[in-house]
Parts: sequence; structure tokens; C-alpha cells
Amino acid sequence: MSGLDTFFQVIWTFLRLSLFSLGGGNTLLQEYHHLAVNRFHWITNSQFADLYALAEAAPGPSSMIVGLLGLGAGWPHGPLWGLGTGVAAEIAVLLPSTLVMVMAALSWSQLKDAPIRVAFERGLGPITLGILFSVGVTVLRTSDHHLPAYLVSLLVCALMLFTRISPLYFMVVAGLLGAVGIIQR
Amino acid sequence: MTPAPLGPSPSRRQLFLGMLQVALSAFGGGLSAWSQRIVVEQRRWMTNESFLTGLTVARLFPGPNQINMAVYIGAYFRGLPGALAAIAGMLLLPFSLLMLVGFVYFQFHALPAVDRVLTGVVAAAAGMALSMGFKILDEYWKDPLALLLAALTFIGLQFLHLQLIPVVLVGGPIAMALYWPRQAKPKP
Repeated sequence: MSGLDTFFQVIWTFLRLSLFSLGGGNTLLQEYHHLAVNRFHWITNSQFADLYALAEAAPGPSSMIVGLLGLGAGWPHGPLWGLGTGVAAEIAVLLPSTLVMVMAALSWSQLKDAPIRVAFERGLGPITLGILFSVGVTVLRTSDHHLPAYLVSLLVCALMLFTRISPLYFMVVAGLLGAVGIIQR
Repeated sequence: MTPAPLGPSPSRRQLFLGMLQVALSAFGGGLSAWSQRIVVEQRRWMTNESFLTGLTVARLFPGPNQINMAVYIGAYFRGLPGALAAIAGMLLLPFSLLMLVGFVYFQFHALPAVDRVLTGVVAAAAGMALSMGFKILDEYWKDPLALLLAALTFIGLQFLHLQLIPVVLVGGPIAMALYWPRQAKPKP
């Protein structure tokens, strides 16, 4: 495939997923993994795990992982293709949801007590819950392959739930554990 | 204490700069808290009440929450152009930085030292991903129907290997029908 083919494949992929990002965007991670690794072979399994970690560690919304996936898809065709495809991927995933959000912002007051709003709000919550658990399991299976790695993940999960420590510290400590070879691929 | 009066509506340029300030302030995290501080308290563009309404709408609709919030603020004052200005302000610096990080990554990730550090960071990030579901679990803990729907969604995605789009297109309307508010009986 040429760089241009990949460019359009990436744009179309993220355009059509945009409106399915319930519950803040993280619900799409499993789908991103399926498409980027298994279906289109833009990147490898461990690259996906790396990019997810980088997007979580970097400042700003973690949904920007889409830009990194685009970058990875275009990279084999050269760094400039990577950059262009990365920017295009981010715009593609944000455009449809932004247009819907603008309409929502402008018409919200009229919808306030409509039954469809109540049903939407309460009905989609449980679906989102199920998707998020599935995303967690998928990312875990993509990332960890040995017992020490699983233990670190479970510990970080517990610390995220029961403390208010910034996750950046967990990443630094885990990075050191990786550097000395305690956590391995 | 009476709340200070609201300032004039921001222009597109001010929306861009305001969101740029939010993104810069939030480099250590806490994007929503920073946008509240800057938009409501410092710049006095909207009341806290309007801000919280925006946050609800932002969570409800598809798209990343923080970006939807920027869209809401921009659209509230200047429609679509305002929304685009606000997103640009919020994403310009973090996205450029992330692309730079990505460049460095694809250039150097094959180096053994880089790969070993990343292996550790990846395990921590996986723990963060796993915590997302647990974080909202207690909202649904006392609702057996919600837990059933969540379990079916989980099984479909994880064990039956269904794709997300059909799951949402089929499961969404079913869940909405089950949670459709019952009509209150008219008073005699």
C-alpha cells in the first residue's frame, strides 16, 4: 500500500468510529487495537501497548493516542507521511463528535426534560461500563506477558482506585522496574 | 459574598487563548479542574452552573470529555467557529508535544534500553486502563439490570469477539428502551 492509500484508510477508519466513543473516548481503545494491529497491520502488538502508555504519560487528553496510531500507520512511508497521517487521524476522530457536540450545546435547553435524554443518559451508562471493563482486559492482555508485569498492573489499578497519587509516579517506578529487568515483555 | 459579575463574551481569539492557558496549566493533569478555574473564576466567562451543565453534556455525548467541554464552551459563545478555536487552543501544545514524542519513539524504540524502560511503563499504563471500569462501577452497584447489561456487553466484546459498532447499535437502543422513563399517571 502507498502512503496515500494508508492516509485515506486511516481517515476513514477514525471518521466512522468517532460517534461511537461513549463515556469519554476510552471505550474505543479495544476497537483501535483490533483495527491497528490485527486488521490493518499498521503497528505491532507491543507498539500498541507502548503508544498507549506514551499517550497516558504525556500531558493533555489521553484520547490523543489516535494521533500516535496515525503516526505509526504512516511511518513506514517516511516521517512526513507519519506526521501528516497522525494529524489527519486526530482531526478525523474529532470532527463528527465535535459537530454533534456543537448542536448539543446549542439545543440542550430544549432537550432538558425529554424522555429520550433520560433514556440515553441512563441506558448508555451500563453499556459503557461493560465496554470499559472489556477495554481494560484487552489492554492488560496486550501489555503484560509475565507474572511480575501482571502484579504491577494489578497494584497500579488498586492504587488508582484507592489513592489520589498521580499516575505519573507509578509510571516512573514501573519504568525503573523495567530498566533493571524485573518487568519483561 | 455576592459572586462577581460575568465579564463580556469572549471572542474567538480569546477562546483560543483561554483554552491554550487551560492546556498549559494542566500539564501535570487535572484538565477539567483547570478549565473550571480559568473559565469560571479567572476569566468569568460563564457561571459555575452553566459550566457544570456543560460538563454533563460533554460526558453524555460521544467524544473525549475534556475536548467536548472545550467544544461546549466555544459553541456556547461563538457557535462552530468558537468551538474550533477552543479545540485548537486546547490541543495545539499537547498534540505537538505528543507527535514529537511519537517521532522519538518510532526512531529509537528498537534500542534495548528504551524498550526495557517502556516495558515497565506499559505495565503501569495497563493498570490504569483496568481501573477505568472499576471507577464507575459503584454508580451501578445497586442496579441489577445495569450490571446485567454491562456483563452482556463485556461477554460479547471479550468472549464472542463482537465488534464495538454492532454492540453499541444493538445494545444501545435495547438499553434505552429498558430505561425509558415511565409515564407518570395524569392526576384526576
